[in-house]
Amino acid sequence: MFGLIGHSTSFNDAKRKALELGYDHIAEGDLDVWCTAPPQLVEHVKVVSATGKTIEGAYIDSCFVPEMLSRFKTARRKVLNAMELAQKKGINITALGGFTSIIFENFNLLQNKQVRNTTLQWERFTTGNTHTAWVICQQLEINAPKIGIDLKKARVAVVGATGDIGSAVCRWLSNRTGVAEILLVARQKQPLIDLQKELGGGSINTLEDALSNADVVIWVASMPRTLEIDSSKLQNPCLMIDGGYPKNLDEKFSGNGIHVLKGGIVEFFKDIGWSMMELAEMEKPQREMFACFAEAMLLEFENCHTNFSWGRNNITLEKMDFIGNASLRHGFSAVGLNPNIQAAVV
Amino acid sequence: MATIASPEVDIDHDIQGSPLELPDFSAESYKDAYSRINAIVIEGEKEAYDNYISIGNLIPENAAELKKLAVMEMKHMRGFTACGKNLGVKADMPFAKKFFSKLHGNFQEAFSKGNITTCLLIQAILIEAFAISAYNVYIRVADPFAKKITEGVVKDEYLHLNYGQEWLKANLDTCKEELIQANKENLPLIKSMLDQVATDAEILHMDKEELMEEFMIAYQDSLVEMGLDNRQIARMALAAVV
Repeated sequence: MFGLIGHSTSFNDAKRKALELGYDHIAEGDLDVWCTAPPQLVEHVKVVSATGKTIEGAYIDSCFVPEMLSRFKTARRKVLNAMELAQKKGINITALGGFTSIIFENFNLLQNKQVRNTTLQWERFTTGNTHTAWVICQQLEINAPKIGIDLKKARVAVVGATGDIGSAVCRWLSNRTGVAEILLVARQKQPLIDLQKELGGGSINTLEDALSNADVVIWVASMPRTLEIDSSKLQNPCLMIDGGYPKNLDEKFSGNGIHVLKGGIVEFFKDIGWSMMELAEMEKPQREMFACFAEAMLLEFENCHTNFSWGRNNITLEKMDFIGNASLRHGFSAVGLNPNIQAAVV
Repeated sequence: MATIASPEVDIDHDIQGSPLELPDFSAESYKDAYSRINAIVIEGEKEAYDNYISIGNLIPENAAELKKLAVMEMKHMRGFTACGKNLGVKADMPFAKKFFSKLHGNFQEAFSKGNITTCLLIQAILIEAFAISAYNVYIRVADPFAKKITEGVVKDEYLHLNYGQEWLKANLDTCKEELIQANKENLPLIKSMLDQVATDAEILHMDKEELMEEFMIAYQDSLVEMGLDNRQIARMALAAVV
């Protein structure tokens, strides 16, 4: 069985959804009530691969909402409690979706292996970052040419280059795509220098310089809400792949040759009988999902019960090949700029 | 939506502050709060002993097993009494008796009417879930002596919760209505008991929000085990909110 740990995109959405599902006790509660709410296994689902293989899974809502980010202890508990529930339910491989993996990583939850009477087994969990990184690279390779960007001549900026997904994307770009130049952007200098050394190339840029020079911008860092960008200084055409969480780039850019693409989202080849992706505001909630969730499904399809994506900077090209091949074989495709230009399935 | 880079999310500071800071066990304020919390635990274990013996009278075929559970509670009581002594604290037993009086009264009334379901819900589910949640939170901030004792106790308490769960699960068809009614009357008491000790618990570095969450997790798990569905559980849990 595979598992997905997710959460609502806002407190108001969470309340609305809880009411629909009949969780009146928390639907009517204020944020303090939600802070004390246990994680909920809200849905069981069956998924049939393009190969015909059937797997079962469960969706767990951690009852975390982004409004809790400023409450460190609460956020930590929400993630750990949801993971404990997944393990107690005997789920083999669970993906940490949305803020879940970000909280796990940034709040250093590896040190919290013991949750009550449960010792968390990390091998049952995956951040899903390998699949996300692979999907973002696919989105770049498939969509850039469609808006007239020749990758051989293109400058590709990676914002958040030194993170787990960012560094994997850089590795792929550098080894598999032949892009003209990789512009590396991140907050801390030393990891950037280390990454540049590892890649044997790429130039270190400020965000401002990268944005004005890049034909493609891959965002894998959350963008601060306060960031203001002058669209007129961007290249035309410019492909923006919004691989961060939450996806808020299209609020900031539109038109004038700027194409914003929801990064790290995949579409399954047929409808899945679940309701949970409506929570994540997917355009086609019966088919679309975060690539990290799909990774848990792929690992279950492949009987690969291991923490495939774990820790930071462990994503190799071989792992990306493995998960990418599995992704195509089982019927996933990367979401494109519009429904007419999506990647071919299988 | 907030992002991880939002100004209100100060990750670096949070990580530095993340290891749980232990309180000063010798501080007067700590001992003062401990005198009430410790008393509640001692009284709780004592009443649990009495309650399991009583339930044994209602379910004679299980009386031997219930006696075993009761004896464990007595052992816990002695353990927690030692925890108080170890810190040089005199437990405020009158406070604890009053603290449990309403719940105790409800148990006695159900017992006198032979309402097994209500008795089990109060003792084997609500009180056990309350104890488990409090002990789980306490273990993280307890002095080394008490930590060891509490770790042993919490393992036993899961067995007790399990006993009640299994009985109610086996009899769910006939006891559901009484269970829902008993929940309605007693769950709010647990909530108000938690509110009453929140200030003292805070001095012991036990966070009220965490206590409530731990309780809701243990309680929900238990109701799921009994075979109640999400909607029924949601309706029952509502009694803790309003």
